[in-house]
Amino acid sequence: MVPSNRDIAEYKQAVKAEDILFSYATNSGKNVVAVDHASLSVDKGEYVAILGRNGSGKSTLAKMINLLEAPDKGKLTVFELSADNEENFWKIRTHCGMVFQNPDNQIVGTTVEEDVAFGPENLSVPLPELAQRVEKALGYVGLLEKANKQPSSLSGGQKQKLAIAGVLAMEPQLMILDESTSMLDPKARDEFLHLVRRMREDKGITVIHITHDMHEAYLADRVIVLEKGKIRLNGTPSEVFSQVETIRSLGLELPKWAELLCEVARICGVTPEAGDFTSEENAVKKIVELVKTKKPDTAKRFVKPDREVSDQVVLRVSGLSHRYGKKEKNALTNVSFDIRKGEIVTVIGHSGSGKTTLISHLNGILRPLEGKVEVWNEEEKKYISTDKNSEIKLIRRHVGLLFQYPEYQLFEETVEKDIQFGPKKMGYDEATCERLTKESLPLVGLTEDILKRSPFELSGGQKRRVAFAGILAMDPDVLILDEPAAGLDPAGQKEIFGYIETLREKGKSIVLVSHDMDEAARIADRVLVLKKGEQVFFGKPKELFSEGSDYISMRLDRPCLMQTLHALKKELPYIDEVLFDVNEAAGSLLFGDRGEVDEA
Amino acid sequence: MMKDVSIGRYVEGNSVIHRLDPRFKIILFILYMVTIFLANTTTAMIATLGVILFLTFLSRVNPLEILRSLKPVVFIMVFIFLINLLTIRSGDEIWSWWIFKITTVGLEKATFMAFRLMFLILATSILLSLTTTPLKLADALEALGSPLKVIKVPVNEMAMTISIALRFIPTLVEETDKIMKAQSSRGAEYDTGNVFKRAKGYVAVLVPLFVSAFKRADELAVAMDARCYQGGVGKTKLHPLRLKASDFVWLIILAAVAFIPLAVDFLVNMK
Repeated sequence: MVPSNRDIAEYKQAVKAEDILFSYATNSGKNVVAVDHASLSVDKGEYVAILGRNGSGKSTLAKMINLLEAPDKGKLTVFELSADNEENFWKIRTHCGMVFQNPDNQIVGTTVEEDVAFGPENLSVPLPELAQRVEKALGYVGLLEKANKQPSSLSGGQKQKLAIAGVLAMEPQLMILDESTSMLDPKARDEFLHLVRRMREDKGITVIHITHDMHEAYLADRVIVLEKGKIRLNGTPSEVFSQVETIRSLGLELPKWAELLCEVARICGVTPEAGDFTSEENAVKKIVELVKTKKPDTAKRFVKPDREVSDQVVLRVSGLSHRYGKKEKNALTNVSFDIRKGEIVTVIGHSGSGKTTLISHLNGILRPLEGKVEVWNEEEKKYISTDKNSEIKLIRRHVGLLFQYPEYQLFEETVEKDIQFGPKKMGYDEATCERLTKESLPLVGLTEDILKRSPFELSGGQKRRVAFAGILAMDPDVLILDEPAAGLDPAGQKEIFGYIETLREKGKSIVLVSHDMDEAARIADRVLVLKKGEQVFFGKPKELFSEGSDYISMRLDRPCLMQTLHALKKELPYIDEVLFDVNEAAGSLLFGDRGEVDEA
Repeated sequence: MMKDVSIGRYVEGNSVIHRLDPRFKIILFILYMVTIFLANTTTAMIATLGVILFLTFLSRVNPLEILRSLKPVVFIMVFIFLINLLTIRSGDEIWSWWIFKITTVGLEKATFMAFRLMFLILATSILLSLTTTPLKLADALEALGSPLKVIKVPVNEMAMTISIALRFIPTLVEETDKIMKAQSSRGAEYDTGNVFKRAKGYVAVLVPLFVSAFKRADELAVAMDARCYQGGVGKTKLHPLRLKASDFVWLIILAAVAFIPLAVDFLVNMK
């Protein structure tokens, strides 16, 4: 039973950790230091972002603050109460709330309101106060009308709001967000962040936000960067992000506008100062100043080479429609597109726009209700269609599909067996299977020594690659990738996109579903936009975002880089704002048709 | 296939059955179960069918939805029917071949057995799974089981476990579906091949499903800890079970209805 005396005295410092150490033993008996002599403090009402690669000890640190883990060594105080003292245990925990990454794994209640009530019920909050708290919390996050619904009927974004409501109903002083936004789409993410901001303003709640998103980190008052359990950087966002080299070496990245600033400065041969990193506006000012005053070294200009794509259409979708039940609305209506050899087509659209339904059709997991999906069979020089049962197996060999979070599909005892599952099912002989397995590894940055290990002892990023290799080993011509980089840290994401580009160079055709608008636009040869199951655009990314296109009515966000360029265009009207590559954008700024500016 | 499992398949509504106290529903369910097993004449069977239809009407749930809960047990129903049909040897012979023999009594008993099973499933669906939220059900089980606390049975914790299990059924069903699609994409075939091949195919689904379920369990435990879960002691309830006058009225009405088949049977046999 939770004791009833839980009141805490006034405090200034929400968290103070001095030299805390936390280690644990793995199954194989190795001792891993998760948090290594870390010291930090968080003031009351402060918003602190914690960054770092996967496995850098961020979550462990957060769990210690909430007393879900106890440090081996060092001194930890929360709300100026010592965490060692058992009397303080409930005082601390009842005032700390935590929202985790996976929305599904933190919902206890079978209805929305029952879930919100779970926390206060545990605190023995009596009726009618309990009901009032639930109603207030649900109203605050905007889920009141869903009170009696089952959690499984909510979207991912709504589930995370529910998790916040569950914490709010406990009236916390401190809220820890442990990668809470990483499984959300951009719209849900914005709403979530807006809610967090409102919560801080209204209730003065201290927020510790673990994230991989650099734009989110910029919303914080302070950023702390961890590497292998050690605190490497600690300061305001501009202090932290102005240390560009360190940031990159820690596996993180800069926001797009800061990257553009760095690239422009590099070509001009200057180093930007910390002050330029305080906000996007200041960076834009600095870029304008550099462009107007510096004579760049033309040898450093980067020109993106034009890509040539063959005419061979390897996958053709025509007039595809689908609905899940007779009475349901169409999940897809009249979608038609094709993909050529060595081409990347990215599919974008909000949650529920039919992306998953579409890609499930491409290898015959779903069959068209109307329309056709045809795949080029190189061996017989003809198209095969998914509406023939007898050809499904052949289609699956030609079209490899990797669903979201594919690491959950691993099941064999060794990595080798798991990768070979697909090729064996496809009927390749032993020698071919082995060859394909070995060839698939370097494509995703793995080496052969991983083959004999169990997939379950690998890190999340490695598991993802093994799953990816499992599809590549089937040697498909077309790859369908559903959010292949979701949930990875920035360096991991960059690597995945790198593999995809290499695969394209090798002549693979790739259909990529991605929420990351910057990457989607940069990497794509063509873009397919879905809205409520309808195809609203199919063409080159440049056309999609160019003036006169109605991407706004498609409710698409512009890539971040384009937003920065748009701001720059006000000062430098000659630049091309429809660019998706930082280097190319820097080139346009410094070497584009500069008109009057050049002469001045 | 997985979609037809009726546990955790609550259908929203505000009917008499939906509103009835879940403790009473469990008691009534036991009563109906007794009736269904005592009914052993054609008249009683028809009367039971009438009662089931009456309950369906009261629940205001789409009858098709209720019938859907039969789908997973059709195989068992057929199996029980055949076993009874072929093993009961008393009565007049209708048909025989090799070692098989069908008799009038066998046919009758087999039909009754199949119908009993069907009624039982329908009663469960109408009274419990389709009209009671899993949490209410768990609350009711907890309340009815509370005398067991005296002998140190962790009733609260068991109720919590049941409720969480029910809460996670839709999640796991969805996950199974996802994993099957992923493995199909890698060439696994669930609809073709011989028994051994298929069994091997399911390994590729079950292993990831279990691994993920354990991971979920771990994460959920941490999340519950973070929300100060300390077992049932001192826990308050958002919707404590409270008996209303109408609950008693409907308990009496529905209990009376439960006896109709037996009463009808008794009256018919009197003549």
